[in-house]
Amino acid sequence: MVHHRQLRISHAGLRGVVGRGLEAAHVLDFAAAFGTFLGPGPVVLGRDPRSSGVMIREGVIAALLAAGHDVVDLGVVSTPVIQHEIRLTGAVGGISIGASHNTAEWNALKFFASRGTYLSTAEATELLDLYHLRKFRFVEHTGLGKLRLEPNAIDRYLDQLADVFDLRALAGYKVLVDCCNGTSSLILRRMAGRFGLNFVLINEQIEGMSFAHEPATNARMVSLQLAPLMKPLAADAGFLFDIDSDRVAIACEDGAPVSEEMILPMIADYLLPRGPGKLVITNLSTTALVEEVACRHGGKVVRVPVGRQAAMDALATYRPEQIAVAGEGTGAVMMPQFRFVYDGIASMLAILSLMQHHEKKLSEIVNGYPAYSILKDELPLASQRIPALMMELKSQYADGWIDMRDGLRVGWPDRWFHVRVSQTEPVVRIIAEQKGEPPAALFDALMEQVRSLA
Amino acid sequence: MREHRLKIGVSGIRGVVGDFLTPSLACSFAQAFGAFVGAGRVVLGRDTRSSGEMLQHAIACGLLASGCEVVDVGIQPTPTIQVYVGASRARGGISVTASHNPPEYNALKLFNHEGLFFNHYERRELLDIYYESEFRHAANHEIRGIARDTETPMRLHTERILRQVDVARIKARRFRVALDAVNGAGSVLSCRFLERALGCDLRAISVDPTRPFPREAEPRPDTLGELQELVRRNRADAGFAQDPDGDRLAVVDEQGNVLDNDDVLALVVDTVFSSMPGDVAVNLTTSSVIEDIAQLHGRRVYRTAVGEANVVDMMRAVDAVIGGEGANGGVIFPAVQYCRDSYTAMALLLDLMERTGEPVSALAGRLPRYYRRQGKVAFEHGLLGPLIQALEEKFPDAAADHTDGLKLLLKDAWIHVRASNTEPLVRFSIEARSAERADALYALATKTGDRLPVPHFSS
Repeated sequence: MVHHRQLRISHAGLRGVVGRGLEAAHVLDFAAAFGTFLGPGPVVLGRDPRSSGVMIREGVIAALLAAGHDVVDLGVVSTPVIQHEIRLTGAVGGISIGASHNTAEWNALKFFASRGTYLSTAEATELLDLYHLRKFRFVEHTGLGKLRLEPNAIDRYLDQLADVFDLRALAGYKVLVDCCNGTSSLILRRMAGRFGLNFVLINEQIEGMSFAHEPATNARMVSLQLAPLMKPLAADAGFLFDIDSDRVAIACEDGAPVSEEMILPMIADYLLPRGPGKLVITNLSTTALVEEVACRHGGKVVRVPVGRQAAMDALATYRPEQIAVAGEGTGAVMMPQFRFVYDGIASMLAILSLMQHHEKKLSEIVNGYPAYSILKDELPLASQRIPALMMELKSQYADGWIDMRDGLRVGWPDRWFHVRVSQTEPVVRIIAEQKGEPPAALFDALMEQVRSLA
Repeated sequence: MREHRLKIGVSGIRGVVGDFLTPSLACSFAQAFGAFVGAGRVVLGRDTRSSGEMLQHAIACGLLASGCEVVDVGIQPTPTIQVYVGASRARGGISVTASHNPPEYNALKLFNHEGLFFNHYERRELLDIYYESEFRHAANHEIRGIARDTETPMRLHTERILRQVDVARIKARRFRVALDAVNGAGSVLSCRFLERALGCDLRAISVDPTRPFPREAEPRPDTLGELQELVRRNRADAGFAQDPDGDRLAVVDEQGNVLDNDDVLALVVDTVFSSMPGDVAVNLTTSSVIEDIAQLHGRRVYRTAVGEANVVDMMRAVDAVIGGEGANGGVIFPAVQYCRDSYTAMALLLDLMERTGEPVSALAGRLPRYYRRQGKVAFEHGLLGPLIQALEEKFPDAAADHTDGLKLLLKDAWIHVRASNTEPLVRFSIEARSAERADALYALATKTGDRLPVPHFSS
């Protein structure tokens, strides 16, 4: 396989193709920067099963010990397990080694604050500055940290889930899960053993060299992996996880994939009546079905720019009890009960609990919501043309509600569009949604307008 | 004098842990090592200093990133690692240890596939790779894992040594032995080795690998008071002191006196000569007592520049049966491995005690007596050359050996001046048949050369 050199250093941390961009030196420097950034105290560490994780783990441990931090290594676990363990043990921070939905040759470092959540923008900026300065605080030989192995974190994580969801009540469902050779199988096997849930696991072998398929959590992958098995197995629901189990994709009992756009509205529907929080935090590109669901329960949607960083910063501006749920159209969801950790397994339990509460099949629940049609595409555009594009669109669609916090979003009572610049690639993303039929004319006009400026 | 807190050079990488010897440096050095030995198995172990764990992880990272498989042997004496590397199919080995240096230091000892120290040329090649940063960056599917094996190295090392001595007879004597392992890498193996393998009645101190070094790391006569006391109190037959990575040995006789390291080597050479054919190789600073012993047995003595790798290179070239570095307390016995090894030295000494039935003081007392003086001054540019010239002018009739600085061979004495390999120092060694002659030569040598500062004395 030929790969381009790939390395991305950003507020989200460090990500790249191992040996073809992401090298040991980056790992040591980034971990040393994080060790310098944190106050004194232990740091929790875990990894997904990629082979390169063993190498990266050694580098991360060395740098953290050198910076004077004790390291608590959870071994191969999902990212949410690491995040919960940070909070439960009073650690000063944590690192997850794993590239989530990327293919096996990728790896990444994700950094967490003592709250167990991703770093805020201000914190991530500070970390990047320390990384670029390379002025690390290494302690003398008498102050070096110690490594400790902690094998029981998964059980403590399951205790947290069992506090929120009635796991035994879900034992009647037959649930098909594609683990994609990732960490979810470790957790689900243990969960089945302790609480009697009925999982049928496929691709459940933990693998480091390559995965059974691309670990993408989307409808296409559900159609390929879960759909053909749902009816033969008579499964009630199907779930597909990425490697570190922070994201999930879903299949109905009839094999139909559930759009990833549906996951946040469904979980909001389940959580809004069950907690004090009335706010749903999501980004400007997420379906308007969220507003409709929130309305039913007397809730309110707070929209923020696209990206994890904006979501983390928005969470910091509200008290946790004000919030019902936060998430995005990709299916990544955070719940206040779990201290705002993106968690695919918690999302799965919320969906199963929703089925159990309504005593309905999953397809009936999904089809019970009003239909929204969304169209998405992307086009390359030179950066210097972007302001002109935005101003042109703004004046052209001046009759709608204008939001310019992240590109341009214009809304009308039954439709909206969002034109924004990707943070990861030099492209403009165009999204338009309408209640009922697809907004084809609006979408085509937008695409044409971007093309004319290219 | 510059504070010598980090040194990267042909002798590897050595420094004070913290701002100087960082995990990043250790990792890139390990990547250079991995690139040099190739993507195979590499044995990795360490001594007990507090920075060992951190550095071991950094090195494992670098080795894995180069596509090597790491065999983690944990805390092990350096000679044990060298035996294991030689016996396994590893491409090489790394011991994380600063040997006899103070605890704030750490360093890497590098071994080739035979478990031998890299020679000069191997070290130079490795350094080139390090400076050019031409590393191999393994992709995910090329990255191998870490295997752990802490028992096999100790078992192999012990077996190799036991084949060379009369175990049954040593056991039968049940020698009472005092041990000071400086809480170092030998703490576990030394107790097992002396007590279980050789049946000694062991009285040990400083054998807790989790605790810091209780004395200066180098086993010198002025730092072994506790061991001397232990020998006297327990009426032990002998006392053994190791350095933190178990390559050096100091010996205390049954009266509680610390033996001269040159005499320890001489006793070992004597006992090996008594049972095996072959010659001996030692460094230029080792005592002439080795020539005396060799003459008795009709063997040859080969002299080399100071440094374990130099002695080993010579031993292999001339197929020597025994060798070592006298002043440093290092015995090299190829039947076990081409490395300085305190365990081999302990076993051979116990074997000698068993065969002769004599106490250590009597064995040492029969050796020809020499008087030694050592000193050092800070190295400065332009210091060593004029000093060597001046000394040669002063002793025009003496044979001069320029292999490592200057060694002047007088009729009843010798003078050796050289630059240290590891520290910015010029070292003086003098040996003579009488104390007066040694003192006189020392005074003369250190006054030679008009630019010489006053040397620091230690004898």
